[in-house]
Amino acid sequence: MSVLDEKPLPLQTLLRVDSVSMSFGGIQALNEVSFDVKAGTIHSVIGPNGAGKTTLFNVITGAYVPDRGRILYEEQEVQGRKVHELVRQGIARTFQNVELFGSMSVLENILVGRHVRTRCGFLGAMGRWSWVKKEEVEAKRRALELLEFVGLVDFAHHRSEDLPFGWQRFLEIGRALGADPRLLLLDEPASGLNAVETQRLGDLLERIRGQGITLLLVEHDMSLTMGISDLIVVLHQGRKLAEGTPKEIQSNDEVIAAYLGSDRESFP
Amino acid sequence: MKQILFAVAVLTMGLTISQSYHLQLLTFIGIHTILALGLNMLMGYAGQISLGHAAFYGLGAYATGILTAHWGWSPWAALPVALAGTFVVAFLVALPMLKLSGYYLGMGTLGFGMIAFIVFREWSSLTGGDSGLVGIPSLTVGTFSVSSGKPYFFLVWGCVLLAFIACERLVDSRVGRALRAIHDSEKAAAAMGIDTSRLKIWVFVFSAVLAGLAGFLYAHLVTFISPNSFGFLVSIRIVTMVVIGGMASIWGSLLGAAVLTILPDWLHVFTDYEMVVYGLILMAIMIFVPQGLTRGILDTYERSRRKAFTTPDPSQS
Repeated sequence: MSVLDEKPLPLQTLLRVDSVSMSFGGIQALNEVSFDVKAGTIHSVIGPNGAGKTTLFNVITGAYVPDRGRILYEEQEVQGRKVHELVRQGIARTFQNVELFGSMSVLENILVGRHVRTRCGFLGAMGRWSWVKKEEVEAKRRALELLEFVGLVDFAHHRSEDLPFGWQRFLEIGRALGADPRLLLLDEPASGLNAVETQRLGDLLERIRGQGITLLLVEHDMSLTMGISDLIVVLHQGRKLAEGTPKEIQSNDEVIAAYLGSDRESFP
Repeated sequence: MKQILFAVAVLTMGLTISQSYHLQLLTFIGIHTILALGLNMLMGYAGQISLGHAAFYGLGAYATGILTAHWGWSPWAALPVALAGTFVVAFLVALPMLKLSGYYLGMGTLGFGMIAFIVFREWSSLTGGDSGLVGIPSLTVGTFSVSSGKPYFFLVWGCVLLAFIACERLVDSRVGRALRAIHDSEKAAAAMGIDTSRLKIWVFVFSAVLAGLAGFLYAHLVTFISPNSFGFLVSIRIVTMVVIGGMASIWGSLLGAAVLTILPDWLHVFTDYEMVVYGLILMAIMIFVPQGLTRGILDTYERSRRKAFTTPDPSQS
């Protein structure tokens, strides 16, 4: 089933984080962080709590403007652009603590996700011209496809806050896909999921990548990151400590020291 | 479908009720419904409070009052000007104001409401000041006078019906979903590509224009307006209508407007204790049905229909 427009991208740099620094009142949250994300890959950012992962996320999605450095998306500088503009350009995200529109149905959540791919405004809504109706039908069709894709189509008309937590995560990913993103950022997608759900999440992420969408994860859960990432960036105290394939990261002594003290045994 | 039922209900009421007092009361309910409906779009759906909505109500009324009473315009020519004026003022107010949120937005709109009230009262060469603006003409269509009673009842409720349709379509659209998204989580709404500040400005303008329309209808019904009809207490009353009727409920606006228009009237029997009883009733409603009367009624209905209500569990399938 082809849910998302399949357009195989050549392996080129989709996102470049170029010596980004950011501090909050004396605390250096990010210090000269640089890395490239190649199109069509799954890229992860890991690091202990307070390493600057979420700050990095907020910088890339436009919520924060970095003090120094550049964010290049499709070869354009995008730092300082507003969040909603970046979504239109194809950068979608999910949140660490699941930010669904709780009072709305599962289907409506996905429809809001399609906001940037539809265009009806106040006058269109009140006039309900034929193009508006057509757009609405098309948006619903697509939303149902996406629900099918994330496995929630049977619950389309349930209130989203009534779903169990794990399902809410999948819904949130589906909602982000509604924007037809080229780059999907997931902030700790496995947190709060049980082992089975984490497994399903891994499968889903692989399927999303299969649609030509690039993924950037901030993650704590090693079993997920090590299993599916092409490349991993390790942040520690705002700096990039290491970058490499899961294998390389797993055998990097500096990373192990930073992450777990010197307890090598418990590192996967 | 609902609209047709509504139109039939209005029609039968208009044709069967002959007592002019009742017609007038219903006409006022209609005007208040338009006010509540507009504010509900802003408050109930988008989650942005306005404690100065009477300003736009007054703006619509004074705009048409000044144009017709002072300058001799036809009311039908004054209507678009009054609405456009409300539109422009609301837009200019919204630009800085909607950057605020929560209590601060409440304070900001409260301040604007007070400024507008002072302008209505003090600019006496135009507004007539405290003693009011007299001589606002009644509406006429050709030689047919739409002054009060049945014709005005139908005019007002025709406007209510149009406002209902507009709001209902708006709610069930891309715009309405975006508004509710802002209400639920502004952060997530922005992450969906919704330009939240722009949308908040437009919904504010939309609700202000509805208030302006209500002001126009009010001015030509009573033909005399004074600042006290558009003061702080009126703003609060509009908010109360929305809350009592039910936030984010189109029918709730009608219910809230009806209750708050009829209640003071019925409570006259309590003479000196009228306001006390009024306050107690509002408190009781908020304590027992905090989500508003519409939700309360619907919940009671649903409960009575199926005693054992179980929430669906997606993990069961």
